[in-house]
Amino acid sequence: MSLLSAIAIRAARTVLLVFVAAAGTILLVRFAPGFFSDAREMDARYAEAARAEIQAQQQQSVYTIALEEARGWFKGEFGVSRQYNVPVSELIADRAAVSASLLARGILLGWLLAACMALPISGLRKGRLLWSLPSTCLLAIPAAAMATACILADVGGPVLVLSLLIAARDFKFLRSLLEGAWRSPHLLHARARGLSAPALVRMHILPNVAPQLCALATLSIVTALGALVPIEVIFTVPGVGQLAWSAVMNRDLPVLVAITFLMASVVGFAGMLSPRDFTQEAA
Amino acid sequence: MTKRVSLLLLFLLIFAAALTLRVSRYDYAMQDRDAIMAPSSAQHSTGTDELGRDRTVRVAAALLIGLAGATVAAAITTMIAASFGLLAAFSPPWLASILLFISDVFLSLPWLFLLMMVRSLLPLTVSPLVTAVATFLVLAVLGWPACARAIYRGAVALRESEWMIHGHACGLRPWQLMRLHLLPHLRPLLLPQFLISVPAFIAAEANLGALGLGVGEPMPSWGSMLLELDNSALLARSHWIYLPIALLVVVLLILDSFTSEVGASA
Repeated sequence: MSLLSAIAIRAARTVLLVFVAAAGTILLVRFAPGFFSDAREMDARYAEAARAEIQAQQQQSVYTIALEEARGWFKGEFGVSRQYNVPVSELIADRAAVSASLLARGILLGWLLAACMALPISGLRKGRLLWSLPSTCLLAIPAAAMATACILADVGGPVLVLSLLIAARDFKFLRSLLEGAWRSPHLLHARARGLSAPALVRMHILPNVAPQLCALATLSIVTALGALVPIEVIFTVPGVGQLAWSAVMNRDLPVLVAITFLMASVVGFAGMLSPRDFTQEAA
Repeated sequence: MTKRVSLLLLFLLIFAAALTLRVSRYDYAMQDRDAIMAPSSAQHSTGTDELGRDRTVRVAAALLIGLAGATVAAAITTMIAASFGLLAAFSPPWLASILLFISDVFLSLPWLFLLMMVRSLLPLTVSPLVTAVATFLVLAVLGWPACARAIYRGAVALRESEWMIHGHACGLRPWQLMRLHLLPHLRPLLLPQFLISVPAFIAAEANLGALGLGVGEPMPSWGSMLLELDNSALLARSHWIYLPIALLVVVLLILDSFTSEVGASA
């Protein structure tokens, strides 16, 4: 199988995965207890309209709901939000930029921190355990707890929390990856010939671990997306994570399906970054 | 050595928590209206929360509930993963592809997002015990895909082994092969998967609780204890409010250390 057809198969599989995830979300939300309840019912001004909408929704089958969702996607507006009563595309477009910026800054800073820690520590012969202690401690702190602690201490913000989470996770993998690389025979030979450490890293280590670094990048994106919800909710960042939380609390199906679609697409296509999969499929 | 120390520390913590609940005259839900947001005192060694409930008792109960819930959920998730992985490994290729695709669908969404979505769609206004069961059940039901993939890979490697072929040739039935040969050989894979899940589920419950989707009040949990930190009036009165978060980190560190030691020896 050629590399091109392997890429095509993987892309088709990713697209199918995204659609199945979106369909699963529709089923899940439709049959959730409380789907036919609306927060607007509590407000006398909107109660009547909300009840009418609920009654109309109760008549709809899952098939009809899915069809309406699909129609919304084709129109390019991804349906209309149940709680905000505006097209979902508008809601997401405003917030996607905020989340993308947070993700980009958090991931870049996380990688930088992980690389700065892992590169020197992996070369150490003694005291690796002690130097790895900060990352072990960081890994033990749930994202929500770290975000709350930052707010309480009035230190840092969402970018710092996200980058620390990513750095702690990536450091662990990067360290073991680099430790293996440092121990390889050709590197021992190069060291014995007196090649400097920066030259060793640039000429031997980085080219050797590059494929695994791509896989690690995918993992970082998934980690960051998962942590996005608690971080945005706790720091009140108006991003997609906060919108997702608000949508699940209010059973806002169109928003939820669009966000599921978005997240599954990002994870799926980020997974395609991993070159190992292509070579395996091509083999 | 580290494994024994971790285990000892964990047992000490569990024993201390159980003892606290046994000897304390307060219940985790009992409200002392004369001591609302009280600092440390003779009656309440680590103070009380905004409803006058004893913090020591609540932290002890949260520790036990969190550990018990996460352990049961990890056992369930490991069982689901083992069944799924073995089924995929020993089924025809077309069925294996479908099963692996199902696990990929779960893996295509960030775990915390998936957890939050499924947990929020379950009833939220039910008894605290039901919310606790629902929370840990959701963790168990959604935590298996990555673990199942690892077990599938392990089982595929074992499927091709000589002793499996020998067992087949000797006329052993599939379930006999599984019970006598496969599961004992998969133990080094299953045990770390189970142990990894315990701290992961405790942290996930804390994250869900902090979003208001965890165990319901008045039942104490790490997540609801984190929510307490939003109360600025309480923060100004007592530093004991940081006890739950500190203890949570200690418990997770002990579990992580134990897990990595067991994983390394397996």
